[in-house]
Amino acid sequence: MGILYVEKLGGLAGFGGTRARIRSRGQIDSAALSATDQKAIDLLFEAGPHPTPSRGADYFRFRISRAAASGTESIEVPESSVPAALASCVKDEFV
Amino acid sequence: MRKCTIQTRRTARRAGDTEEAPRRGEQRGGCGCFIVPQKVLERFAKDKKLSAKERQHFADAVKIEREWRRAREANAQLAHLTASALPTGLTASAAAAAPAVLVFNCGHGTTLPGVPIANPGSSSDGAAKRAFAETTQVVKFYQSLFGRNSLDNAGMTLISSIHYGVKYNNAGWTGSQMKYGDGDGNIFIDFTKSTDVIGHELTHGVTQFTAGFGYSNQAGGLNESMSDVFGSMFRQWRAKQTVQSADWLIGKEIMGPGAKARGFTCLRDMADPAASHCLAPQPTKFSQYQNGMDPHDSSGIPNLAFYKAAMGVGGKSWEKTGQIWYQALTGFAPSPNMKMKAFADRTREVAKTLYPATPAIASAVDQAWKGVGL
Repeated sequence: MGILYVEKLGGLAGFGGTRARIRSRGQIDSAALSATDQKAIDLLFEAGPHPTPSRGADYFRFRISRAAASGTESIEVPESSVPAALASCVKDEFV
Repeated sequence: MRKCTIQTRRTARRAGDTEEAPRRGEQRGGCGCFIVPQKVLERFAKDKKLSAKERQHFADAVKIEREWRRAREANAQLAHLTASALPTGLTASAAAAAPAVLVFNCGHGTTLPGVPIANPGSSSDGAAKRAFAETTQVVKFYQSLFGRNSLDNAGMTLISSIHYGVKYNNAGWTGSQMKYGDGDGNIFIDFTKSTDVIGHELTHGVTQFTAGFGYSNQAGGLNESMSDVFGSMFRQWRAKQTVQSADWLIGKEIMGPGAKARGFTCLRDMADPAASHCLAPQPTKFSQYQNGMDPHDSSGIPNLAFYKAAMGVGGKSWEKTGQIWYQALTGFAPSPNMKMKAFADRTREVAKTLYPATPAIASAVDQAWKGVGL
């Protein structure tokens, strides 16, 4: 799976918004994840576009990108779907 | 009123039976939420094959069911009578009991709701105390100003979970409860410190139970705007501010030292959404809107419209402008894909309906939306 590039978006403060002065990014080698987490990530990519949750607000979304045969593939999923080890690789910072 | 029926157990005992563990489908203690017909309860209350204690148990259940039904019918009659008597747009919920306000401690984990906090209103934990006190005030805000009994207008229990996650830079509405992070101590501090944040999160619940605006595209921006509008309104109400004396900032009290050192004073500014002192500056005109925008981005457009309308009307934001927005949010069928122009037009019509003798109010609302290109 290689390196996973992760960006945390949204939340009450609007991380990663068009003009936002705060972002949250990180990366992690998939080999550092447990087999369970790697499988979970694979399933997220295989599921394709994820619908907006039907309830709730101000939750974070995670954009996960990785190299693929056709280039870079990315998905965007709600924080509830992201393994903790992946979610913790990002760092909140000012831009 | 949410029904919680009495847990009962079938106790057709045989000789030699000992005290049983809960049967399949039952729960120990509390409300197992089984529905047992009253006739069955009455039959068991008279069944001589049962012990006196067991017969009394069923007799008590019968009595509670009768009293609960009487209370429900009385409440419904009162609600109907007062709804007929009140001006259009206000709802009757005076007979309903105030909702319970509960606070839980996640202990920096992410399992909800967490460990219940006894007496959070007098807790030595400032976050617990604030979550309880301000949630209770939001209840009063919606009850006294809009006649609304909790988020669902049916006395829903309000649950707040504090100390969610580790250095969690966020607060949120899960669809059934609130959660508050402590912040990382640099960008943000404890998210319970801003009254508008608490009002913001709870208002997501009001939107969910009424207009049901979705959370993407224009509806998402409106959803977020409703929370900023009523969150700010709540903050102003708590501080007894007029529209002139209010600062219209969202999240002022959760700015961490790192944010303040860089000149950031808030998450968002409803009076000047594009301002550089905002951590997340927003668009100010509909021409800047793009599909796929984060709702916290696009909310800048309707936020500015509300600010302009409130300033045009004057006084306190909840007196007239807030009443218009509340009716526009709660007085129509659910609209998950609402468009900003449609909502704008709705507020224009509501303004005329609510204040027909004061055309200046409808004019202020109209001008406000035109000011953002709608």
